This record gives sequence, structure tokens and C-alpha cells, in this order.
Amino acid sequence: MFRTFAFVAALCAALLGLLTAWSREARRERAIGRGADRAGGRVERCVTCHAKASEDPGGAHARLALGCASCHLGNPLAFSKERAHEGLEREPGALATVRETCGREGCHAREAARVASSPMARASGIVSVDRFAFGEIPSPDGSETMTDVLRAANPTAAQSHLRRLCAGCHLGTRRVSRDDAIHGNGSGCSACHVERRLPGAPPRAHPPVDSRVGDDRCLGCHNRSLRIALSYEGLAEIEPFQAKGPDAACAAPVALVALHDGRPACRVSPDVHREAGMACIDCHLHTDLMGDGTARAHKEEQVEVTCEVCHGPARQSGERACSSFSRWTLVRKLDGAVLPVKQTPRDANHARKGHERLSCSSCHAAWVPTCDTCHTSFDPGKRQWDFAAGKETAGAWVERSEGFSWAPPLLGVRGDGRIVPATPGMILDMDASAAGGGKTARRLLSPVEPHTTGRKARTCESCHRAPPAPEFEGGTRTGFRGLNAAERRRVAEARLDRR
Amino acid sequence: MDAPAPGAGAPSGGFGRLSFGFLAVSVLSGTLLVPFYTPAAAWESLEKIQSGLAWGFFLRAVHAYASFGVLVATAAHAVQVLAARTERQLPAGVWWRSVLLLPVTVAALLGGFVLRGDAEAVAALAIWRRILESLPLAGAEIARLFLGSVPGDLGAVALHHAGTLTLLLWLFTAEHAGRFIPDARGAVLAALVSLALAGTVPLPLGAPPAAAPAHLLGPWSLLGLQGALGYLAPAAGWLLPLAFVLLLGLVRHAEGRVRRALLATLAASCAAYAFFTVRVLLSSRV
Repeated sequence: MFRTFAFVAALCAALLGLLTAWSREARRERAIGRGADRAGGRVERCVTCHAKASEDPGGAHARLALGCASCHLGNPLAFSKERAHEGLEREPGALATVRETCGREGCHAREAARVASSPMARASGIVSVDRFAFGEIPSPDGSETMTDVLRAANPTAAQSHLRRLCAGCHLGTRRVSRDDAIHGNGSGCSACHVERRLPGAPPRAHPPVDSRVGDDRCLGCHNRSLRIALSYEGLAEIEPFQAKGPDAACAAPVALVALHDGRPACRVSPDVHREAGMACIDCHLHTDLMGDGTARAHKEEQVEVTCEVCHGPARQSGERACSSFSRWTLVRKLDGAVLPVKQTPRDANHARKGHERLSCSSCHAAWVPTCDTCHTSFDPGKRQWDFAAGKETAGAWVERSEGFSWAPPLLGVRGDGRIVPATPGMILDMDASAAGGGKTARRLLSPVEPHTTGRKARTCESCHRAPPAPEFEGGTRTGFRGLNAAERRRVAEARLDRR
Repeated sequence: MDAPAPGAGAPSGGFGRLSFGFLAVSVLSGTLLVPFYTPAAAWESLEKIQSGLAWGFFLRAVHAYASFGVLVATAAHAVQVLAARTERQLPAGVWWRSVLLLPVTVAALLGGFVLRGDAEAVAALAIWRRILESLPLAGAEIARLFLGSVPGDLGAVALHHAGTLTLLLWLFTAEHAGRFIPDARGAVLAALVSLALAGTVPLPLGAPPAAAPAHLLGPWSLLGLQGALGYLAPAAGWLLPLAFVLLLGLVRHAEGRVRRALLATLAASCAAYAFFTVRVLLSSRV
């Protein structure tokens, strides 16, 4: 043990060890950051490297107030990049980790808990309507959420459809799994509270994080299906083949524009509230958007502020009356500008006999996008992004239409007897046979709040002399139906009276 | 130690001297680490020592490998003594105190492991506390005495690691060796081995304490006990080591078949311990 050989061998090994350690020490010395190592009164070594001004979100989330790890997790005590980035959350606010990031105790725990119940997180309305349209469930009022769909072990045809075409807008879908429809949006809290990154825009090291949610962030998701955010801006999407030629959809004075992702659209009349500079969040309160803790089947059930809430008068019991106040104003959330809020006049137009059940938008919604012919089929030979797998997989749902348009909405009778705008949004032929489903032809009418409010109401003729609506099925919602025979007769009588 | 003359005639070989040498290197390197370690911020201290302090990673590794060396050399020395049947050269009291060197060394190593403050250390501390609390009569008080009662503050563990246990180790070893400081050759060889290992086999840092790794491994010397505790009550955590120490101590007082039976039992225990160690290691790779 103590022979010379042992000492010489140990000495050589020790020298080798010292040389190796010397090299590691040099690497360590080069790797550590040189900036300050504290933020918010705590040790936060992230900022020793992330010291550029452009890496600061600013505001209430300023780097030197919160540091980085409060939102991005990781190891704020580490000196090396590798260790510091262990467990890093690149997308703070993602619902999978929201309780450790935005929703941690002392920050936004209450809001994070509520978001789980929000329509944008659950998307149960989209799921149940889609599965109803596929004929998989008898009612469009199911409680299955998009999370359930994404976890389904053996997805049905409708679940496959949802996973490939609809799940991208689900708040739980991470940014890396987003598709072309929702460029630039994060997920979870970040989907709304972090500035979008548009394609081609120079990357900013850290976008601002705030509660001033501009319309562009809403538009990031709500530009498909019913295209509410586009309609509010006065944009009606068309198919590319409708953009040019003698039958171009956007004939003067309607301008042809390109949407943020290149899709063509016609610029028609925006919503009157948009013209007044109001943003989506001026009407859609935090309880609408982030939920109030109660899970609801459909998004319209979550809406708190209706036309009557601001413009009155109260028409039915339970709705808040505003007309007793002499003057109402609205403070725009994004810029603080004060707008007068006009009250609905009690004139002959608003007290017309036989129209008591009309909702405001039945008359004041100027138009609604229409997609009268939608053909959906499953092509097993193509590949398409699967939001459940987070990658492209075999098979693709292919949608074809014979063109989009816009027109005054149809009217339908809601379960509570109220007459509301509706759109023949689902006149579809579905071929899901290659995905395990069947062939379906649907003629569905859907209630809609078009978000195309105009100052002037539509004319009597636009309702009472409109061409007969196609025969729709019972409606896409329980409690929503087309006119029955007696009601059609009454409408016809009204039309005759007017003549 | 018990045979100062070098060469073939030494009853215990050189592992005893080497063990004392490792102990000296461990104490010296540990003393150098003390100014940079804060028991109430263990994880932060480890990060600082490992990456924020010049040569800190190396010093920590030297301390760890020297400490491992103490246990390995002590165990090897015990095997040599039993093989050479030289245990009776020691008075009974010294022998029993020498036998206690093994559990005291393991406890000191466990203390060092817990002082890392990482996810595995947090889990090990919780298990250690449950084992101590399972002691009859005053288990909870003993647990508080050795492990403290303030969550997140490892002050008590650090005190016993650097103070009580180190002092006991030095005293028992010095008494066993018949000298208060190790001889130069043992110390130099131990230092060279520690330096070589510390430089060539870097000591990693564990996962942050809040992390939840799929597999948590205790200190390497206690993996067998970790595996056994998967099937046994927490009290086995002190009953099994106590039984092993008693059996080892009794060897000095036994003769003939009884001695062989004791040694066979000890060997079987070591084999079972190795089995559980391998089992835990394999399961952590799944």
C-alpha cells in the first residue's frame, strides 16, 4: 500500500485531477454572468446574464421587481446556464404549470383557479356542438372539455376533427403546438396577456405582460369559425378564388384586404362600438373571459354585459335597467377615453307591437359572415398537425367551401322565446367514413351575436320580405329552434299586413 | 494503527492508516468549506460553493471523496482485522468503540448528504427523521436533538455533522490508532487519492429541493437500507444497523463455531445489503 509505486501512481492521478479541475475552473469562470445577482430583494442570478433592457417585460412584472424565475421557474440560484435553465418554463401562464407561475400564491392564484372554468379553457361548447354535428351525441349541450378530447385514448371521428382543427385555440394548447390560424399567441394566461408576435416581425426578447388586452390578441384566435373578431373590425373573409375576377366578392366600394396571415377579406362596415374606439375588453369583463369559477356549457352563457346593461331599457325581469340614470359614460380601458353611452329611446321604433321579443341585435346587427356550403372530409393519405400528439400525424381533415359571403342574419326563436340573430353556418356535408365516422348532411341553424352592430336598424323588408330560409334542422342548441308552423304563419300575416 | 511496523507483518494492513488520513483530509477540507455554508440556506450555499466560488467545486469534491474514503478504508480495515483474527489485540472497550466507528462514519456521511439541501437531501432528511422518531420512549426528542425542529434550517444537522460526529470519529480513531494525528504517509496518500478523484470525477449537484425527480436515491452507503425500508417499518432503520454493530462487536468475544456463525451472519447481512443496493440502483434506471 505504501510502496513507492503506489505513491507515484497516486501522485500522477492527483496531478491529472488538478489539471482537469484547473480546466473546469477556467470554464466556470468564463460561464458565470457579471450583472447584478438580486431582484425583488432575493438572490436571482438569472439577471446576471439576462441584463439587457429588451429582456425586461417592464410594468408590474419588471425584471428587477420579480426577477425571471417567478414566472419562468428554473433555478435562480444557479451560476451556470445549464443548471439555471433546468425546469425552465418558456411559456409562463401555460395551464399545465400555471399554479407555479402566474397562479402562484401571492400573485394571481384566484384568477388562475377561475381560468380553469372559463369557456376558453374548457371549450365544451365547441366540443359538444362538433360532436353533435357528427351525430355522435344527441344534444349539443355536453360537458366534455377540449382537455378530455385531447386525452381521449381512442378518438372518435369528431374528436379527431377537434384535435386537428379546433384544439389550437384551446387555452391549454402550448405555443409550440399552435398552427397557422393563431400565429403568435401563447397559451393560458399568455394567450391574452402577452403581446402577440406576428409572422415576420422582429423578435423581441421579452414582450410586455399586462392587463391591457388589445383586440389584436383576441383576433389571434377568434378569426376562424364564426370570425367574431374579424366581423367586429368590419372584415369579411373570402376564399382566395373570390378575390379576383369579374365575380370578385369585394366590388367597389368594398376594399379587398389581406388578413394577418394572408387570407383575403373584404372590408365592410365595422361594429359601431369599434368605430367608437372600444376594444373587446370594454364589454367582455374579466368574468366573461377568465371565468367566474362556474363551468358553463356554452360561451354565451358566460357573457355578463349585454346591450341592455348599458343601453337599457330593462325589458325583462332580471336584467339591469340603466335608463333611470340621466347620463351614462363608459371609460375605455385601453386609453381611458370617456364616451357617452346613449340610452335606447322609448320611441315608436322600440315599442312596436309584436316585436317585444326581439333582441337588440335582431335589428341592429348589420351583417353576419356566411359559409353556406361547407364540405368536410377526412383524407387518410395526407398529414396534418394533431394537437394531442403535438406533431404531424397521418390523416387530415379537409375543408372546402364554395365561397364565403356576408348578409343580414336570419332570425330564430330561442328557448326562452326571445328572437335573436342566427346564421345558417352549418349547411355541411360531412364525410368522416375514413376516420371511423359516417357521412352526414346537416342543415343547422346557429344563434349568433354577430358583433356588427350598426346605428341604423335593418329594415322591415329585410326580415319580412326576405326569401324563405332553407329548411333547417332543429337547431344547434337545445332551446334554439327554427320557426314552427304557427310562427311562420304569424310572420306571413305580418308580411301581408305590411303590404 | 494497531501494527505500526510496515510490511507483511502488519495485522491490519494499511487501511487503518489510510482511514485516519482520509479523516484528516475530510476534516481539513470541511473546515475550509464552513465559511461558505449557511445551514438555513443550504441549497443556495451549495450552488454558491459549486459554481460561484473559485475552486469551490473542487474543494467540495475533495471533502466528499475523503469522507467516502474514511468509510471505505474503515470497512476494509475491519475486514482485514477479522480475516487476520487480530481483534483481540485491542482491549474490549477500545474494540467496542472502534466498532462504533462504522455507524458514526455512516451517520456523518448521512449528515453531509442531508446538508446538500437538494431534492434527495430533503427526502433523506424526512426518512432519517422518521427513523429517529421510531426510537422508543424519546424518539421525537432525539429526532429534534439531531435534526432540529425548524423546517428548512439544517443548523442542527450541520452542528452534529461538523461537531459531534467529527469529534467522536477523531477521538475513537485516535484511541484506536494510539496517536492523535495520522502519520504522514497515510495522510499524503489519502490526500493524493482525494485530489485525483475530485479532479477527474466531478461531483454533481442534485435537483433543486422543490423538484420532484422520478427517483430519489439516498447516500450510496445507505442504498441497501433504503431498499430494505421499502418492505420494513421505519424502526428497521435503527434496528438493523444496531443488530449489525452488536454482531460485529461480539466477534471479539466468540470462539470457534460461534465466531464462524457470527461471521457468516455478518457476511450474509452484507450480501443482502448489496442485493438491496443493486436493486435500488436498477429500479432508479427504469
